Amino acid sequence: MQLKVDEMLCSGHGRCAKFAPAVFSLDEAGFNTAVGRVVDVPPGEEDNATKAMKACPERAISDAGQ
Amino acid sequence: MSGRGQVKIVDEHDPEISPERLIERFGRDFFRDFDIDDPNLNEHFHEVIDLMVQKCPVAHSKVGSGYHVFSTEDAVRKIGQDWQTFSSAKGYIPNRPDDQPLMIPVEQDPPNHTSWRRVLNPHMSPQVMDAIRADVAREVNLLIDKFIDRSECEFISEMAGLLPGRAFFIYVLGVPVDDLPELVHDVDKSLFGPLDTRTKYHKKVYDYLEDFMKKRQAMPPQGDIVDTILKGVTYKDGEAAPWDHQVSVVLDLTYGGISTTIYALGSIARHLADHPEQRQQLLDHPEWIENSVEEFVRAYSPVVAMGRTCMKDTQVDGIDLKEGDYVMLGFSGAGRDPRTIANPKELNFAEPTIHHATFGVGPHRCIGSHLARMELAVFITEWLKRIPHFQVKPGTEPVYETGFLRAMSSLYLEWK
Repeated sequence: MQLKVDEMLCSGHGRCAKFAPAVFSLDEAGFNTAVGRVVDVPPGEEDNATKAMKACPERAISDAGQ
Repeated sequence: MSGRGQVKIVDEHDPEISPERLIERFGRDFFRDFDIDDPNLNEHFHEVIDLMVQKCPVAHSKVGSGYHVFSTEDAVRKIGQDWQTFSSAKGYIPNRPDDQPLMIPVEQDPPNHTSWRRVLNPHMSPQVMDAIRADVAREVNLLIDKFIDRSECEFISEMAGLLPGRAFFIYVLGVPVDDLPELVHDVDKSLFGPLDTRTKYHKKVYDYLEDFMKKRQAMPPQGDIVDTILKGVTYKDGEAAPWDHQVSVVLDLTYGGISTTIYALGSIARHLADHPEQRQQLLDHPEWIENSVEEFVRAYSPVVAMGRTCMKDTQVDGIDLKEGDYVMLGFSGAGRDPRTIANPKELNFAEPTIHHATFGVGPHRCIGSHLARMELAVFITEWLKRIPHFQVKPGTEPVYETGFLRAMSSLYLEWK
């Protein structure tokens, strides 16, 4: 599973790191450190990553495979 | 369809939302003739908001130069994210008087807005707020100490009205503790005091905070948010942000956070008082408390609506908008939108993927959202440890006020 994080849309809500701390981390301002990149979801983390994707108020996280 | 005064109604023939029926039920046709300051909205708040998001996702107001209210989560997100089309730089309240100074940075657009947020965000991040969690828990308990033996309290003046001010002024701004009682009192009067004295108290708070900034300027740097504001930012024209903008940032942080958190705390206390079964869920599952905070702020958004000004002709949710038109993002409705949330009137603490627009969307996302989340979760945790069962005092009714913010001015609780 690969997810991409939209650089223009991330506004620092921080919900992604709350739901999937093994997938996403926050920079010192509280923004997703993977903005503008595609993230490989580690095996076993798919459920958490999906929750993080759905919880983002900006819909900034999307499935890179689609 | 085109032209001003347009509304979007799902079913024009639905008798429940005919102008006559709405006036009979609510005292006003809030769909075709919205007024955020009408006391009837305060009185019938959730009935109007729920019916509006469901059946009239774009309402229109004729007040002043007029404005549209967009209530679906989808429209609110689109407008909030598209800051090039929908500017904040002409004010977040409709029909704003021209002589009123702009609040910084909430009434700015990128890139000047971005200059401020870039330096302010690190002071308000989830990591920073985690570090003051224990301090806020202590503040909650000190407040509870004062009334727990009485088996009752007036929740707004004894808890909700005090906690956000103490948390913000002590742990974020670093105001001297001795100054707090007067400062918190003045903020309260400027928000909820008699209407004709609010300006006086607002000025008093402004003067205090400007004086505080000047004192801090003369002191060695502490590396906190005040130093960051004093250091300032450079705007796109190469000029440094002026002093009145620096003071405005402190005011914006203060007023942005305090009244909204008071309402969130009041709504949580009232909901838990009225719903013993949901209180029991949180007592049995303290691990659900963080999710419950998302549900509380989704269903009881402290910000009813905030506005933007159209910078070009555009269309949202089927409504044609012209350059210069004013639009409001209806956060209260967006959190209760049946298009995106199953059973929006119910609070579901077990649901782990709650998303909502209550903290805003786009670059103006509430800068205090992580402070608020932490504070609300700590409040629920500490309160339920000491007062697990409580109710609204019989014979009393919670008192609300409504404008662009929803507010609660009294809530009597009792317990055994």
